[in-house]
Amino acid sequence: MNTIFALATGIMFAMGVYQLLRRDLIKSAMGFYILFTAINLLLLAVGAFDGVVPAYVDSGGVPAETTSDPLVQALILTAIVISFGTYALLLGMIAVTSRRFQTVDSDRVDNLKR
Amino acid sequence: MNLLLLGTVFIPLGCAALGIVVARNRSVQHAIAMLGGIGAWLCSIGVLWANLDTGAPMVYVLGGWQPPYGIALVADMLSSVFAVMASTVVAAGILYALGCKDKCVSYPVFMPLFLCMGGGLNGALFTGDVFTLFVFIELMVISSVVLVAISDNRLGLEAAIKYLLISAMGTLFLLIGIAAIYATFGTLNMADIARLLADGERPLLAEAAAVMLMCAFLLKSAVFPFHFWQPDFHTTAPTPVHSVLSSVVVKIGVYGIIRMTTLMFTVEAPTIHSLLIILGIIGIFFGSLGALRTYDAKRLLAYSTFGQIGFILVGIGWGSALALAAALVYAVNHSFIKSAMLMITGVLSSRTTGKTARLEDIGGLGKKMPYVALLYLLGGLALAGVPPLNGFISKVGLIQSGIEVGSWLPLGLVVGAGAITLLYVTRTWSWVFQRAPNPEMKVKDTGDSMIAPTLLIAACVALGIVGAPLLDIAIQTVHQVNDPTIYIQAVLRR
Repeated sequence: MNTIFALATGIMFAMGVYQLLRRDLIKSAMGFYILFTAINLLLLAVGAFDGVVPAYVDSGGVPAETTSDPLVQALILTAIVISFGTYALLLGMIAVTSRRFQTVDSDRVDNLKR
Repeated sequence: MNLLLLGTVFIPLGCAALGIVVARNRSVQHAIAMLGGIGAWLCSIGVLWANLDTGAPMVYVLGGWQPPYGIALVADMLSSVFAVMASTVVAAGILYALGCKDKCVSYPVFMPLFLCMGGGLNGALFTGDVFTLFVFIELMVISSVVLVAISDNRLGLEAAIKYLLISAMGTLFLLIGIAAIYATFGTLNMADIARLLADGERPLLAEAAAVMLMCAFLLKSAVFPFHFWQPDFHTTAPTPVHSVLSSVVVKIGVYGIIRMTTLMFTVEAPTIHSLLIILGIIGIFFGSLGALRTYDAKRLLAYSTFGQIGFILVGIGWGSALALAAALVYAVNHSFIKSAMLMITGVLSSRTTGKTARLEDIGGLGKKMPYVALLYLLGGLALAGVPPLNGFISKVGLIQSGIEVGSWLPLGLVVGAGAITLLYVTRTWSWVFQRAPNPEMKVKDTGDSMIAPTLLIAACVALGIVGAPLLDIAIQTVHQVNDPTIYIQAVLRR
């Protein structure tokens, strides 16, 4: 299970970094979200010992070592809310920028350079 | 007593929520914001006072879940000193915003966001839990991004996008570090991590976590390899926001680095210290030279912040008790000076039609404003470290600790760069206050209110003449910080 997590996190990280570095602002915003999802997967992998048994408070017969860690799931919930809020804000600002510049090409959104 | 600690974080956040409810009545909202700022300020002073009184850190356990499982707000000397500094500047920023003529200040979201930024700052300083640190830092980042995006300066939006994407990278580093810490230690409580590390556990992932946290904090402080967003983002911000961003928000990273090297990663500290000296010196030079070639009074001060953070990092990097105390004094003094200077520059640029701060536009503007000229001169001399102002004390402390450590090359560079500070400050002053005014420039009769910068400059002068209490507090702080068991015992109660 951990191998799958490692592969998925790695691939998503690569995708995220690639997208983030693109010139298109919307695509880089998407890259930002993919990166955060990759981190959430990493957090999940950190806590899930086997990653298959749900985290029950009273795990009735299931040995404690095989249940997932509930704490990381709480962390991921918080991280999702924060990354979602940031993503919404980012897209909102890109929407205003695209209206102002008539483009989302980050090479042409360059008033700061002047 | 412990409720005071809760107040520093939740009074601003509560007032922010209240401010959204009464957003229709702007004057009521502004009054609530001012009350929130002053409330948080008084609470933080109370926390520092209690710390000095008892000598033991103050712990508030949220929801009654005992650490290491629950989240605790911990106020030791280090966080209390930083929090008093932060809430003073935030309260002064709100006071400035009340008398500010910028359009964005009258938006219904301005004051709630400003308070969220202040609450996030205090929360990040007081939290004893790595993940809660991430949450509070994000709260601070998101509110500051919105505040810059709605700035009167149209470039604010671009700078905000740039910063949000870059700060997302910092957040990413922080989260990876948190994941690595949780994977190795199975806990997120700073005291518990410190206890496990002190017990001799030293897995490889812990070093990876240290590197990740370090990157995140360096990015928040705009230190050399991660500095490029800072001048744009800070310059385009509205004046009250700029005065908070450039003085206390960048200190979050400094706080994080001190906390990391003294509490958790004490074994890695010498490596981190030698890195900090190099990065600090690069920062000092890039910042000072950048300020020297900039002909915009606001941007110049943003570059200057980049340089001054370098001085603080060199102090931390020297690592001796005296050097750390000097770095703390430097951090506090720099916050007051820089926010006051930015507010005075804001007052000047609010008199111009285009609200610019370019030297050719505001050149000669101050000739008929002797009071502003006096304040600017005091602030500038304090920044350059001329006696009897507080900048002098921080510079002398730093130089003395450099002599004590015997690290001569960095010391020489620090002294040399201090001279550059004097150069760019006096150049700006003579340009703005001595030159004949530009005849094409229309000057408005009224500008922003001078109350907040006056108070801050008064604080600078007072800290310069009566510098001993601050030095005492800094030395006590360093004594407490250098013994991590005090923090660990206070939180874990064992």
